[in-house]
Amino acid sequence: MEPGLSIESGSAIRVAVLPVGGPIPSPCLRDYAALVARHACVDLASLRPYYKEHQKSPFAHQPWDAGCLRLKFVLGGCVPSPWEDFQSSRKVLAVVGICHLPSSPDLDRVAADFVDAARSYPSALASRCFAFCPTDAQLVEKKRDDIIIFPPSDQQSLEVHMLTMIQDLAASLLMEFEKWVLRAESTGTILKTPLDSQSSLGSEEVDRMGQSDPVLEDEVKYRYYTIIQLYRRATLQDNAQRSFLSLNRVSPVSFELEAALKLARYLCRRELAKEVSDLLMGAADGAKALIDASDRLILLILYIEIARLFGTLGYKRKAAFFSRQVAQLYLQQDNAYAAMSAMQVLTMTTNAYHVQSRKNNKLDHDSHKELRASNTDSGKVHPQSIVSLFESQWSTLQMVILREILMSSIRASDPLSSWSAAARLLRSFYPLITPAGQSGLASSLGNSADRLPAGTRCADPCLPFIRLHSFPLHPSQRDVVKRNPHKKDWWTGAGPSGPFIYTPFSKAAASGTSKQEVTWIVGEPVQVMVELANPCSFDLVVESIYLSVHSGNFDAFPVSVSLPPNTSKSVLLSGVPTQVGQISIPGCIVHCFGVITEHLFKEVDCLLLGASQGLVLSDPFRCCGSSKFKSVSFPSISVVPPLPLLVANVVGGEGSILLYEGEIRDVLITLTNAGTVPVEEANIALSGKNQDSVISIAHSTWKSALPIKPGGEVTFAVTLRAWHLSLADSEADGSRSPVNSRRTAREGINPFLDIHYAGPAANAENGDVSLPPGRRLAVPLNICVVQGLRLVRARLLSMEIPAQFTEAHLSPVSRKDYISTGTDTAHGDDNLLTIDPCKGSWGLRLLELELFNPTDVVFDVDVAVHLDGTNVDQKLIDEGTAVDAACQKTRIDRDYSARVLIPLENFKLPVLDASFFIKESGSTEPLGSKAAAIAERNAKAELNASINSLISKIKVKWHSGRNSSGELNIKNAIQAALQASIMDILLPDPLTFSFKLAKNGSAINVVSSKDSGNPDDDSGHFTDENVILSTKNAQRCEDLISAHEMTHMVVQIRNNTKEIIRMNLSISCKDVAGENCFDENSATVLWAGVLSDVHLEVPPLQEVAHPFSVYFLVPGDYSLQASSLIIDATDVLRARAKAESSDEPILCRGSPFHIRVVGKV
Amino acid sequence: MASTACFVIVSKNDIPIYEAEVGSAPKKEELAYQHQFILHAALDVVQDLAWTTNAMFLKSVDRFNDLVVSVYVTAVLCCECSTVQIFLNPLYLPGSRITSSHFDTKVRALARRYL
Repeated sequence: MEPGLSIESGSAIRVAVLPVGGPIPSPCLRDYAALVARHACVDLASLRPYYKEHQKSPFAHQPWDAGCLRLKFVLGGCVPSPWEDFQSSRKVLAVVGICHLPSSPDLDRVAADFVDAARSYPSALASRCFAFCPTDAQLVEKKRDDIIIFPPSDQQSLEVHMLTMIQDLAASLLMEFEKWVLRAESTGTILKTPLDSQSSLGSEEVDRMGQSDPVLEDEVKYRYYTIIQLYRRATLQDNAQRSFLSLNRVSPVSFELEAALKLARYLCRRELAKEVSDLLMGAADGAKALIDASDRLILLILYIEIARLFGTLGYKRKAAFFSRQVAQLYLQQDNAYAAMSAMQVLTMTTNAYHVQSRKNNKLDHDSHKELRASNTDSGKVHPQSIVSLFESQWSTLQMVILREILMSSIRASDPLSSWSAAARLLRSFYPLITPAGQSGLASSLGNSADRLPAGTRCADPCLPFIRLHSFPLHPSQRDVVKRNPHKKDWWTGAGPSGPFIYTPFSKAAASGTSKQEVTWIVGEPVQVMVELANPCSFDLVVESIYLSVHSGNFDAFPVSVSLPPNTSKSVLLSGVPTQVGQISIPGCIVHCFGVITEHLFKEVDCLLLGASQGLVLSDPFRCCGSSKFKSVSFPSISVVPPLPLLVANVVGGEGSILLYEGEIRDVLITLTNAGTVPVEEANIALSGKNQDSVISIAHSTWKSALPIKPGGEVTFAVTLRAWHLSLADSEADGSRSPVNSRRTAREGINPFLDIHYAGPAANAENGDVSLPPGRRLAVPLNICVVQGLRLVRARLLSMEIPAQFTEAHLSPVSRKDYISTGTDTAHGDDNLLTIDPCKGSWGLRLLELELFNPTDVVFDVDVAVHLDGTNVDQKLIDEGTAVDAACQKTRIDRDYSARVLIPLENFKLPVLDASFFIKESGSTEPLGSKAAAIAERNAKAELNASINSLISKIKVKWHSGRNSSGELNIKNAIQAALQASIMDILLPDPLTFSFKLAKNGSAINVVSSKDSGNPDDDSGHFTDENVILSTKNAQRCEDLISAHEMTHMVVQIRNNTKEIIRMNLSISCKDVAGENCFDENSATVLWAGVLSDVHLEVPPLQEVAHPFSVYFLVPGDYSLQASSLIIDATDVLRARAKAESSDEPILCRGSPFHIRVVGKV
Repeated sequence: MASTACFVIVSKNDIPIYEAEVGSAPKKEELAYQHQFILHAALDVVQDLAWTTNAMFLKSVDRFNDLVVSVYVTAVLCCECSTVQIFLNPLYLPGSRITSSHFDTKVRALARRYL
């Protein structure tokens, strides 16, 4: 019995193909045999040239036009069958030798070898010896008749050559048959069979049988069953005889099986599947009788045939089952060839069991792809279609098959197959394999790889599992912006406007339309994040892993990863696009366990999808503790030509710009073109938060540097002002130790420089101008604001130091005199009036700011009052000292605090107006009047505005180090401090008193001292001391006040209200002991003029002067003071004086005024 | 003959959703595989046969050596009370494995009764 039996197989002429000469490498032998076996059917027509017809040829009526001669090549020959005579198709009628010349240099020996080999086939009528791949020496040798040397050539001409040779062989066979027939006709044929069969199926009848003639089919079946019956009867008898004669028993089974198989093959069609499978099952049952060791070959062939027939029938699983039986029979033999056969047979079953190597399942693969594509189109994957992805998951069987393939391939020493089988086993079934088994598989992978040459590729991936994690956009990728050719501001609306890639608003519009699109740029590195998982119990070392790109325009950079047992890891894989075009990244190339494999992302995606539906054993990522499966859609990636690439660098540090609160600083930013294309246009704008912290950008600097050539750079300045920390920030800071106060800038609070730039427009071939995309560079200004000087508190102090009036102060005014002409000379708009705080002042109000320096640097504080109001010249209140004290800044060392005093002068309003007291007085007025309410509101607004302007005029500037400077934010603190007495600060006194020397009839303003008196409350006293100092002039002044000399003086009273004030003025003079010098009884100062109860009327906003003369008897210090009792005080005055009752006398008093009287020299 | 049996429920697309090796014969791993291999192979015959008859119970559709395969083909995945319970479970995805231990116990109890 032999494989490939059919009813037609009887018509084939058996040709033994024998390897001769030296050993032939098995791939070569396979190739040579295939070359020969290709010509199993030789057209009779093509034999004509080689065939010399006998004159009495019996073959004249053969179908020479359409017929053919069947040849059956038996590689390695076969043992002569005892059935040869009975079935002459079993006879070997020709012998073909195959010789691999490189391994058999001696042609004579080859010839002898062939003759020897052919001798074992006595029935052979023709013989040829083919020799392949001759060496040069053999080619030049004399041509031999007994060996046909195929000259070295390509496959095609070799095939043509072989066809010729086979036709020649066939023709010579035909001529031998002719001879034989001519000879046989005279003698007759003796048919000898072991069984002396009584009936036979004439082959000529069979030849006529059509394939689908039902009548004929019935005939065939009838004959088959008849034969079987007859045959069985005959064998019984025969065996009885043979056993009686002690001859070898002939198994009846093989003949019966053969017949059954022939019939099955003849009937083998889909429509007759039932019948055929019954026949085959019967045949398989017959195998039970084949129990002898000698019957193993028959059993093998039987299973092979059954498998083949089931395969033809379309019963793939049945075929696979019997194939596996075949493989098991092979595996029972203990040699490498059998193992190789077992392996090959098992490999054929892998399709049926769905464990095929990826090498063989390209077609299958594509169908999956289509399925995936259709699924993703519809958005949600239907569960049923997922199920079909995991068809036939008979995991037990699959594992058995893979294990058997692994075993047989190891035995057959085929390392690549064993690697592939072990890889498939481990990858697909790791959850079902014990840790020991997993390690065993890992070591067999390693062993297989040791036998493979380095760099071997295998179609089947092993571990790790790789899935696409994300597409982290490289900073340089993120900034590509499509240019709108119709807009000058081409970036507007084109790309993300903020620092965030994702905005919920743009997402809604984009998601429905198309896949995410990613643009990569030639020559700029890109990254893809993948996640690797090792769900097995051994350490996995991935020698290298890199992105697999089939389009050939990408250079991937390999990395190596080590994965401990049951872990997953995210790895950033990078590469550089090299050419313009589309890139698709189906997966990764992995070099692991010594072999290079390609891992496809979508396979793992399918697997994870199945795992999420419970169809697959386990999710490799989840069992490694990784997060839940989320499908990452692969964006469509296009590569564009190189673009300019600006890189920004903040000069002076990569980190954040550390600024103290309120600090103003210039930051230099360098833009470098790191690309290969010049930057031709650019635009810089601000975005993000805290944009007002950028005061200015030196636009002209960078604009003048355009175009920036590759490698070129430009540096421009950006002026920053640190914002003020919120209360929460300060508290958070305060809780830290000062050492830690340098903290990193928080996310999301920084402004960005949005730089949009683009290279030159490219000229397309057809003359059109195509705009390559522009780019956007967001330069975060990482401003880290730290607590600088801290205002501990602000409070209002009042000082009451009487003015020290020495001769130095008695200088006449150096500027033009002004006399009490009654003109509006509100002191506010006079000019600068300064105070020497050392000299003191009566009722001086000072704002004390206590500052603390918690940092580790020194601060210099500079307090200024910025008088830029409409009616006030821009002056510094401290100017008197500021001239020589310009450098006298307050220096605050670290961890020290200091107090800064700000005299609150010059803020008074020129007029004491009733409107400020509306609130107070309003309560007595009838409410409900709408106009009054509006007036009240206006007045309040005005008051608030005045307060605000007052506060905003006070500025505390600081410097630290070489280039840190800024301003303290103290508005709120000042407001809180001033709130209580804002009226006193802002509002002028109703009356201002000033003394002047009157000499030669001209009044010289010596001192003006006005005071509004509140007799009850001294702290309510308010001093606006207008001391006109001109120290240089004073030194040289000769007009001193001396004793024993008449001094003419004038007291000037100014009315600051809008109403006429009547009053009784009194002037007093006290000596150092506080004694009244004008005392009638013991006067030390003589006087002329009225000094008490002077009745005066001062018109609104006018001045009145009252002259008097004094004569000091004793040199020394005196103090002059004017006071007036107001007659019929108005409500405004009462309110200003904070009088409690309406009949209380209102007294206004000027500040004491010291005079030093010198003795006569 | 060993009174061993292998019971497998196969769903659409050839996915075995339940497997149980029942019977008293000493278990040999190889034999268990063999059972499954035979059942898997018999699916080819079942597939053809199921369309030629109205009967749900196809007696012995296939055999190998001494092992006989008989099949119960159900219309819409329902044959037995326990199975129905499984298939009516809204959380059960057609095609995934039956992992309920309750179901397993029931099947084994039934098998003991009939073997």
